[in-house]
Amino acid sequence: MKSRFFSRRDFLKTASSIGMVTALGGIPVDLFASEGKLVRFPEKTDLILLTSRPPQLETPKHFFKELITPNEALFVRWHIANIPTSVDLQTWRLKIGGNTERPLELSMDDLKGLPKLSYTAVLQCAGNGRSLFDPRVPGGQWGNGAMGNVTWTGARLKDILAKAGVRGDSVEVAFNGLDSGPLPTVPDFVKSLPVDKALEEDIIIAYEMNGKPLTMLNGFPARLVVPGWYGTYWVKAISDVTVLSKTLEEFWMKPAYRIPDNPCACIPPGTKPGKTVPINRMNTRSLIIEPSIGNRLPTGKEVAISGLAFSGGYGIKDVIVSVDGGKTWKEAKLGKDLGKYSWIQFTLPWKPTQKGKYTLMARATNSIGESQPFDRQWNPSGYMLNTIEKIDVTVG
Amino acid sequence: MKKIIVFAMLAATGAFFVQHPAPVSQAEEVGQVHSITLPTIPPDLKDGVGKDKVLVFCSICHSPDYIPMQPLLPAKTWDGIVTKMIKVFGAPINEEDAKTISSYLAAQYGTAEK
Repeated sequence: MKSRFFSRRDFLKTASSIGMVTALGGIPVDLFASEGKLVRFPEKTDLILLTSRPPQLETPKHFFKELITPNEALFVRWHIANIPTSVDLQTWRLKIGGNTERPLELSMDDLKGLPKLSYTAVLQCAGNGRSLFDPRVPGGQWGNGAMGNVTWTGARLKDILAKAGVRGDSVEVAFNGLDSGPLPTVPDFVKSLPVDKALEEDIIIAYEMNGKPLTMLNGFPARLVVPGWYGTYWVKAISDVTVLSKTLEEFWMKPAYRIPDNPCACIPPGTKPGKTVPINRMNTRSLIIEPSIGNRLPTGKEVAISGLAFSGGYGIKDVIVSVDGGKTWKEAKLGKDLGKYSWIQFTLPWKPTQKGKYTLMARATNSIGESQPFDRQWNPSGYMLNTIEKIDVTVG
Repeated sequence: MKKIIVFAMLAATGAFFVQHPAPVSQAEEVGQVHSITLPTIPPDLKDGVGKDKVLVFCSICHSPDYIPMQPLLPAKTWDGIVTKMIKVFGAPINEEDAKTISSYLAAQYGTAEK
């Protein structure tokens, strides 16, 4: 079965070992370096394997040159091993209950019959970039590929909750999916949002990604989409919406997915946080996609420093780029604006005239002034990395 | 030789793979039932005392690739992880096996730090 997981890198390793590729002056490092083992899962292209059961699969870097992440390339992250691999839409129902006036069950046709909302939003794992923490922390060792920009279509959660009638003393709304633990003792993956958040205009139960049904691994037949907030709330293969009159304090809300209760969600490395709160809105990030660390660029030839930037639902005001390790900055040109929840592409032409080593950096600021720190920030769970990255390249 | 060079150039630019990606598999649809079949990926753990226990007990809940994915961790961090699996997730591991598993993890995937 070797051929099944025979990756492009395996091919290139073979190719370069017999001198074909190196003879031609090398291959682009960004496509093929340090990406680990590539695997094929159903409805997915080659993705980087973190774990197979439950599946955690990372998107390879070259897909981040695109404004929209293709369905087959979007990362995969499940928490407990019994994930849904078969769903019958004839029997599937979204059940809404708990502290409501009229508990109800919606079929897929019912859901599709409700007013539709569609927008592009970044889905990002709370632990995206965890492997870049210093000192390192245990957990899913994601590079920066646990994110994607997808056009989601679905029905407003608010409309669904209105049909059920949320009682006045409600505090939170909990969301459960079809996944379950392999032992009854394994805490079920259930997440909750404060009731005011759950009733916001833009939260949807999505049944389409990029105009197609959701892939099974990304939550078929429907998932919660909480634009601007971390992926942990975007419950996949959703089956139950339960209105609560008290705060949910099950494992995946407490102690899991908590951050230090301060503006940077950070503490001195190696220490323990005092008060924590559930992780929530995403911070602002920018990532240089091209060139990559270690690239060798020609002298006197114009190249584009390009990448993407996004923030937790406030749109990007500007991205500045430095080629001298942060001494001087220039404003990059922003690409097509797909709205406040989408990432936006940036590019800055650069024509290095002198040989040497250069450190490229990008810094995004959102429309309410939130930006990215220069210093590496730390928390024990490896969440919310948004430090300005340094991309060292050589010219000449 | 010419063919080999063209092939290598295409490979070097990535064009070869962009133009001919292996097709992405589709979910099976029978009536209203959508199904996929997950691949089986064999575990790849370092050999050492206790590996058999790791394969038996850790695999009840997750693939063993959770282990080599981690950075090298101090023995007490591995200990804490094993304890969490037992106390929080209910892994049915007795004290003796837990010690064996922790020792394997620290020996094979640990820092020198105790």
